[in-house]
Amino acid sequence: MKEISSKLPAVMLDHVSKWYGEVIGINDISLAINGGVTGILGPNGAGKSTLFKILMGRLKPSKGTVRLFGIDPWKSTTPYRRIGYVSESERMYDWMTSLDFISTLARLHGMSRDEALERSKHVLNFVGLEDVYHKEIGKYSKGMRQRVKIAHALVHNPDLIILDEPLHGCDPIARTSIMNVIRELGSQGKTVLVSSHILEEIERITEQIVILHNGKLLAIGNLHAIRDLLDQHPHRILINCENPRDLAGLFISSEPIYGVRFPDKGQLEIHTNNLSAAHDVLPSIIIKSEQKITSIENPDDNLDSLIGYLIGGVNNG
Amino acid sequence: MDDKGLSLKDSVWSQIDRKAGAIIELTIRQLRHRLSTWVVLGVGFLIMILLLAFYIDSVRDGFESIDNDGDSVDEDEDGYPLGQEIKYGHSDLDSSQYPGVGKYVPVGEIDYNDNFRNISGNYTWFGQGILDPVWINVNYSGISGPGYGKINWQDEMKSCPDGEAFVDWNLNDYGSTCDYGDGKYVFWGEFQAEGTIEVPIDRALFWGLYAGSFYVEPDPISLYIDEDDINWDDNLLQSSQGFDDDGDCTMENWSEVPEWIYDDEGEYFDNDKNGNGIICDVQWILDEDGNVIAINKDSNVDEDPVDGKFMGESSHRTFIIGVGKMAFVILLGLFLPLFLSLGLIRDETENGTLHYLLSKPIHRGEFIIYRLLGYLTVTGIYIISLSLFMGIIGSFLGPGESIIRLSDLPIWLGIGFATILVLCAYGALFNTLALITPKYGIYFCIFIGVWEFVMGILTIANPNWTISAISINHWALQIIDSIVLIAWPDTLQLQQMSLAFNLETGLDLFWKPPAHTLGTSNPLVSIFVSIVMLFLFTISMLGIGQSIFKNREIM
Repeated sequence: MKEISSKLPAVMLDHVSKWYGEVIGINDISLAINGGVTGILGPNGAGKSTLFKILMGRLKPSKGTVRLFGIDPWKSTTPYRRIGYVSESERMYDWMTSLDFISTLARLHGMSRDEALERSKHVLNFVGLEDVYHKEIGKYSKGMRQRVKIAHALVHNPDLIILDEPLHGCDPIARTSIMNVIRELGSQGKTVLVSSHILEEIERITEQIVILHNGKLLAIGNLHAIRDLLDQHPHRILINCENPRDLAGLFISSEPIYGVRFPDKGQLEIHTNNLSAAHDVLPSIIIKSEQKITSIENPDDNLDSLIGYLIGGVNNG
Repeated sequence: MDDKGLSLKDSVWSQIDRKAGAIIELTIRQLRHRLSTWVVLGVGFLIMILLLAFYIDSVRDGFESIDNDGDSVDEDEDGYPLGQEIKYGHSDLDSSQYPGVGKYVPVGEIDYNDNFRNISGNYTWFGQGILDPVWINVNYSGISGPGYGKINWQDEMKSCPDGEAFVDWNLNDYGSTCDYGDGKYVFWGEFQAEGTIEVPIDRALFWGLYAGSFYVEPDPISLYIDEDDINWDDNLLQSSQGFDDDGDCTMENWSEVPEWIYDDEGEYFDNDKNGNGIICDVQWILDEDGNVIAINKDSNVDEDPVDGKFMGESSHRTFIIGVGKMAFVILLGLFLPLFLSLGLIRDETENGTLHYLLSKPIHRGEFIIYRLLGYLTVTGIYIISLSLFMGIIGSFLGPGESIIRLSDLPIWLGIGFATILVLCAYGALFNTLALITPKYGIYFCIFIGVWEFVMGILTIANPNWTISAISINHWALQIIDSIVLIAWPDTLQLQQMSLAFNLETGLDLFWKPPAHTLGTSNPLVSIFVSIVMLFLFTISMLGIGQSIFKNREIM
């Protein structure tokens, strides 16, 4: 029987909608995910948390079917034997040590006390908290707390891991370490769903993305494919340098650039229709200018722009 | 295999013991980390210490001998206690009436308008006239009542004025006399003499016999305390029990049997008040099961028991039953769940930590049960420890031959058991209310708390009132009543004794024979019925709670 359930997709949503009274949480989402890391992208209020809460059996879908390993999570908690969930909630039992916290919750998966302790130490090692697991969670930094939550979700070696904004509020070091953990999980062949409202974060973790907007499924697929589409549209590149006017002279003669602007002192904004081509010529021009460049930013290379483009595309289509 | 084609190993319902253990342990640790837990448990402990202090201070004092029939008092301060005065037929309200005081018996009188005006004899006289004495008792001490007019023959005798007595002149003072000549005396007052007396027209004279006073040694007051212990030969086949140890019912060897007096219950004295044809006995009336249901006594029999023996035992039991019912079942039974069970699930929702527990392969109903078990572990250990603590301290303090009264411990454990059942029922109820309406649950709980408190008091007052059965603690109080009857079978007797002999032990205030015995008057039946009722209530609350929780969306 186990073979049957393991062949079923980890996550399957069929025309799922959720309304909070008049307000739509998610709207007619159909999706099947199995294996690898999938980024659930969407601005705040797009329906990411609603989607995860439906998957975790906390909310009942107003319409449609939800299956985790073939089982309806609203009716049965059985799939949670194989699922690890990291909620967006910051709250934990601050008076417990992380080892205590994780091993107690591990026992809810039916582990014995010893088993739970051993597994907890293992996952705490995995997330890099081996030195502090005898300290109370209340004394942890934000990033450490986030990693405790992830460790707790991994303790029973789940096949599906759902992480709701795991990088939210973390410092860059913690971010990198969490991203590594998530990538590692993906490479172990697990199905990982990770949500974020920051494109760059997801980009560093996975290529497989789902974009939600206003509760609707906007795009699904490979991030690069989506970005390639985006590249053909007008883009800005913002360069902080010593002498923007000299630099502008070099750019204006270059092929993919069709315009320049000086938004502020020491700033040059170049406009292009082909972002990757612009990035190709960028290094050689900078070297040629012999100027000290303090930063290069892509203000249009974010989720909002992507969504803006996708909506525009949908509208145009 | 379950209906989803999963083997038991894959379903929720496996390794239940481990999951239960984890949640129970978590709940215990959470409660341990909350200040309010320690406050409410500490207050409970403090109440018990105060009650023990009260016990040592008041109940132990109550073991001192009390004059239950009140015959050791000396209201008129004449040195004789009431019991001794009654024996001699005197009042204790008049200091001139005391044992050994002279006694006057009227014989005759000459009224102001009687025809005959002369009388001869040896009497005690009162009134006015002219005495021709044969003998006068100059040492006459006088009697009470009219005694203030006693004539003093020993003072120097004055001559009467000239003229005819009571015609030309009169005596001015009651209790005076004068020499009338010819060995005669004119008098107005009281005296004892032999002779002939002439009573003038319009004057009156009374005469009678007077027993002279004699000295009676006052009895010590202690003789009238504990002087008539309850005599019970333990043989209930013989319904006539009791013996009038102090003889104030049989009145044998009394110098005078009073015509009427009030008895120890403040009613007219009747030496066969119970009407069984045997004077001065106590009749014990039993029901079919051999329980004493009434004790009817004749006046002044067994009315002043030895307090150390009877009151000590009854007060000790009253204390245990009172503490068990009021402090354990009603107060702790209500406040522990109010503080500790209301937030079992509600607080997890509010704190945002519920999802850690619910994202596990656990049924939500299961979760409620484990949470309640965790709460019951904390409160149960507390209640059992507290009742054992009270039991051990109480059995050292209590009356009895041995150092420890082992017979108390089953009662204390029974009290603990009944309290835990109440905690179980209230815990399930309050938790369910908090699930139904997280915001207003507390108000419902407070309302229910007030209702339960009133019903608890009503149950203690009379367990047979139907309305009080519509409460939770009614059934727990029944369990205590039943266990008392099982562990101390003679409590019914003690209670009847305290009623019959007017002993204010409070036992009848706090303990009544258990109701709900389904007509068998067997306390075990009452325990069984009560446990079933509490159990059913708890189960149905759990059922309601889990069906609400199961369908609740958790944001």
